[in-house]
Amino acid sequence: MTNFPWLTTIILLPIVASLLIPIIPDKDGKTVRWYALIVGLIDFVLIVYAFYSGYDLGNPELQLVESYAWIPDLDLKWSVGADGLSMPLIILTGFITTLAIMAAWPVTLKPKLFYFLMLAMYGGQIAVFAVQDMLLFFLVWELELVPVYLILSIWGGKKRLYAATKFILYTAGGSLFILVAALTMAFYGDTVTFDMSAIAAKDYAFNLQLLLYAGLLIAYGVKLPIFPLHTWLPDAHGEATAPAHMLLAGILLKMGGYALIRMNLGMLPDAHVFFAPILVILGVVNIVYAALTSFAQRNLKRKIAYSSISHMGFVLIGLGSFTNLGLSGALLQMISHGLIGASLFFMVGATYDRTHTLMLDEMGGVGKQMKKIFAMWTSCSLASLALPGMSGFVAELMVFVGFATSDAFNPIFKVVVVLLAAVGVILTPIYLLSMLREIFYGQENKELVEHEVLVDAEPREVFIIASLLVPIIGIGLYPKVATQIYDATVTQLTSMIRSHVPALTATSQAPEVENVAFLKAPDLYE
Amino acid sequence: MEPLLYEYAWLIPVLPLVGATLVGVGLISLNKFTNQLRQLNAAFIITLLGVSMAMSFALLWSQIQGHGSYTSTFEWASAGNFHLTMGYIIDPLTAVMLVIVCTVAFLVMIYTDGYMAHDPGYVRFYSYLSIFSSSMLGLVISPNLVQIYIFWELVGMCSYLLIGFWYDRKAAADACQKAFVVNRVGDFGLLLGMLGLYWATGSFEFEIMGDRLAELVSSGALAGGLAALFGVLVFLGPVAKSAQFPLHVWLPDAMEGPTPISALIHAATMVAAGVFLIARMYPVFEHIPVAMDTIAWTGAFTAFLGASIAITQNDIKKGLAYSTVSQLGYMVMAMGCGAYSAGVFHLMTHAYFKAMLFLCSGSVIHGMEGVVGHDPVLAQDMRLMGGLRKYMPITAFTFLVGNLAICGIPPFAGFWSKDEILGLAFQANPALWVVGWLTAGITAFYMFRMYFLTFEGEFRGTNQTIIAQLKAAAAGVEEEVVLEPAFGPGAMDPHELDHDEDHHHSSEPHESPWTMTLPLLVLAVPSFLLGWLGRPWANSFEALVHAPGETTAEVVEHAAHFSWTEFAIMGGNSVGIALIGITVASLMYLQQKISAGAIAQKIQPLYNLSLNKWYFDEIYDRVFVMGCRRLARQMLEIDYRVVDGAVNFTGLVTVVTGQGLKYFENGRAQFYALIIFAAVLGFVVLSSIG
Repeated sequence: MTNFPWLTTIILLPIVASLLIPIIPDKDGKTVRWYALIVGLIDFVLIVYAFYSGYDLGNPELQLVESYAWIPDLDLKWSVGADGLSMPLIILTGFITTLAIMAAWPVTLKPKLFYFLMLAMYGGQIAVFAVQDMLLFFLVWELELVPVYLILSIWGGKKRLYAATKFILYTAGGSLFILVAALTMAFYGDTVTFDMSAIAAKDYAFNLQLLLYAGLLIAYGVKLPIFPLHTWLPDAHGEATAPAHMLLAGILLKMGGYALIRMNLGMLPDAHVFFAPILVILGVVNIVYAALTSFAQRNLKRKIAYSSISHMGFVLIGLGSFTNLGLSGALLQMISHGLIGASLFFMVGATYDRTHTLMLDEMGGVGKQMKKIFAMWTSCSLASLALPGMSGFVAELMVFVGFATSDAFNPIFKVVVVLLAAVGVILTPIYLLSMLREIFYGQENKELVEHEVLVDAEPREVFIIASLLVPIIGIGLYPKVATQIYDATVTQLTSMIRSHVPALTATSQAPEVENVAFLKAPDLYE
Repeated sequence: MEPLLYEYAWLIPVLPLVGATLVGVGLISLNKFTNQLRQLNAAFIITLLGVSMAMSFALLWSQIQGHGSYTSTFEWASAGNFHLTMGYIIDPLTAVMLVIVCTVAFLVMIYTDGYMAHDPGYVRFYSYLSIFSSSMLGLVISPNLVQIYIFWELVGMCSYLLIGFWYDRKAAADACQKAFVVNRVGDFGLLLGMLGLYWATGSFEFEIMGDRLAELVSSGALAGGLAALFGVLVFLGPVAKSAQFPLHVWLPDAMEGPTPISALIHAATMVAAGVFLIARMYPVFEHIPVAMDTIAWTGAFTAFLGASIAITQNDIKKGLAYSTVSQLGYMVMAMGCGAYSAGVFHLMTHAYFKAMLFLCSGSVIHGMEGVVGHDPVLAQDMRLMGGLRKYMPITAFTFLVGNLAICGIPPFAGFWSKDEILGLAFQANPALWVVGWLTAGITAFYMFRMYFLTFEGEFRGTNQTIIAQLKAAAAGVEEEVVLEPAFGPGAMDPHELDHDEDHHHSSEPHESPWTMTLPLLVLAVPSFLLGWLGRPWANSFEALVHAPGETTAEVVEHAAHFSWTEFAIMGGNSVGIALIGITVASLMYLQQKISAGAIAQKIQPLYNLSLNKWYFDEIYDRVFVMGCRRLARQMLEIDYRVVDGAVNFTGLVTVVTGQGLKYFENGRAQFYALIIFAAVLGFVVLSSIG
């Protein structure tokens, strides 16, 4: 079975299945959701099976590789593969999307279109993580935007059109940089190739690397998001429905991080040496700035949206750390936030279904009537504030230790960064716990209790949160469950990047920092 | 048998966790059914903890017999050449802590059955108690700093959940958040210190860290100042957890939680975790004199601060809470003076007598609730108590035992441990001794004030004037902060409607059921006898638990130098001042010879300072809470106006946005998106051909 085209099957199954949706006889919208769920489950099982049977944990290289010529004239190849960077995210995608389909159970507006889009996204997202051809990557990256856009603009809140437009313009605007960078890299040098490994193997001029890096950083910075390119996210999140949220926070943000590692780190290591301090600083800004804005937010969805931005800051610090542990932590933070973010946004949706308001001022004391919702909210918030025993803690600790022990930065820079990032450790519980206090604690809000029916969680909701908490706690108790999937790849990648840091290799090929006056990095070579 | 016992020692924290998990899952999935089982759940959880307790006793016995320390680890996380191990260590310190935690938790759980009998959250409370016990036991068996940090946070979480147990009370809601956030401030320091130490020494193991740090500092590879900074940062963790100045503010508020957890978490075990951490980190701290001095003086000041506030408190639990703050100060001071085993010894004796005092206060509150109803404002106020000894003899007796213990009257437990601390503090720095000695006098005064107010004199619980005064004061305070002016009948007192229902009052309080009094009597035994272990001429406690640097032979030799004259002077001094404190208290509150009100009038500013807890809450509120809120609001404003604006209206995006939005308002959104998509696609195709 090793030659079976696993990844292609996994990507195409939901897409093909989605095309069948229009011909499914379904009057009341109830058949199609079962259909979508079953397809999602089958695909998830396939992912797990492919991982189990065809993936070797000790091998840092691409596995499950397939390559077929698609349009030979364009040198466009359907080439997919998975290494330690892709594999955990592919599994995460299958997991979260299946749960999102289940979270969408109450959707009654145009169910056929909705599930069609969900399944299309399922395949599209996995494709982003699996494809190994630059051009193809760009295509799928763009393709998966369309369903998100439509889901936002049809099933969103009151300002959905504004939010959806902002989302697509930001991301599509960013994508132009990907295209330009991809083409430049493909045509650079003697050979023209779109194959990612071949592109990574090319040796680019340093100045060109810097330009390419900056362009890609903007593109992926929109997606991750990185301050100051983040403002589409609160708008998009503020208007999206729960399932769309789960996908946005759980998977779409991770594409930015994934692409940064795959391309910026993997293909442009010399530029990364230059840009790493900037990444770290942006990471700190993300953490502190977004935590503060989240604290001031009165709208529940936007509050959680800002908390996502804050958590992504740790990814950036990990990426810039030049250590195995830091990079490992960054990847784990992506996985962990995928799970925690999805669970928090699901809870926001579940709460909104009952209170019909997102404003904290209009809630209060609802814990008395919704005990299970209260318990689940508390668990998810504790996970998000990096309580030990849950995945977020391990990820943040790894990033902290990785960065603190990094030999690439001078001690003062490290002290300042660690100190400021640790301020986030104090700010996170402040905004999350005061949010809990305002929703659930204290006297019941009479206005709310009189006008809304506050029913406690139904089994479906308990099941979804339980499914998310199992891996969150599992990774928290024994992180090797997750880290060993990518350990080999990350180790290889780190040693490759470290070989480009002059101070660490003691070779004298110092990059020509003076030539680029517009960006001056803090002292990296102590 | 013995190797097997050590091999399976990990079961000690795991068993309560299993109990908590099973009951918790039951609560979530079969809520009604699980709640109906009530005492069956409690019995299940108590049994599991009982097994852990038996194992702990067996381990302690084996350690007393001289079994070497035992460590077992496994690899927990790794990345490249970084390996982090977890596991457990059993040494005398661990064994002693295990026994303390297990016994107190076990007795508190039995007590809970009586105290929480009518609470709808009975089962939930047991599962929280169980998960706390599990985390606390995990903390004390941790072999390295990271694992301590993990459980450190977990006990903090349990404390959060338990303080906020009655979540419909506003005060509880505020208190639990405050507790968590203040503790996070401490954890922030602990995390930074931990990272710093790891960066310098490359290890999270206590001994290795200590040795390497000493080496680095002495060889000059690491600046002494930096080492001191790391030490002080790590110490921030204990400062928060053990409620030391300036992060002590959360502990008195934490009394909003049900009384059993005040006894277990906020008196006996979790707050002592800070002292335990200092003990574990002793190999590191002992090489950093600056850190040691900081620890000693923080402890001494906190001891005084807590006692000075406790004098004027009228809420029985608040008074005990400040007394806990003060006693923790003693322990921390001991650690800072290098009195390692004295500090741990006081931790142990304090755990028992303070747990008992808190449980007594719970019993008193339980009795009072029968008279004044379920209102913490009334049931916990000592101005409404008095003469309870007649109605609750067992509670009064055990409270008195605890009182004598905490005041340091020989031969009660507290005398030996406190006297040892004071003696060693005198050797380290006489100034520290003076602070500790004065505090001992204040302690005796306020503890007996509490005893006389509660148990002696006439019962005042039916005095309607006082009740009305207290209600008005409480309503006034709350109205200021929270309640918007209400309209309609009964609007002046927002609690009026809530309390109308529980007027099933009797005119006299009653003694608590046996499930509550039994634990009190059991705890009275160690409160009385335990000190004997630490008698200075044959200190068997120190022979068991001593600083990692010392050997048992050294300890024994040290004990041989015991001098009766020295002991008599030191002991006489501390007993003397305690007796003075007790006498003054009895003159003021028992015989009413001196009017407390008149004195308060004379020293009005000092009285107000103490009554208002040195204004810490007000200052912190003004500076940190308000400051943080303002900063956050400004940031959000910036985000809206500057960042969003700037990115929206610059560059390529601006042009498209302006045009695009017009289209979208016409409702042709999907169409437009497809155009963009097609354009991009076309661009791709064209460029790749070209």
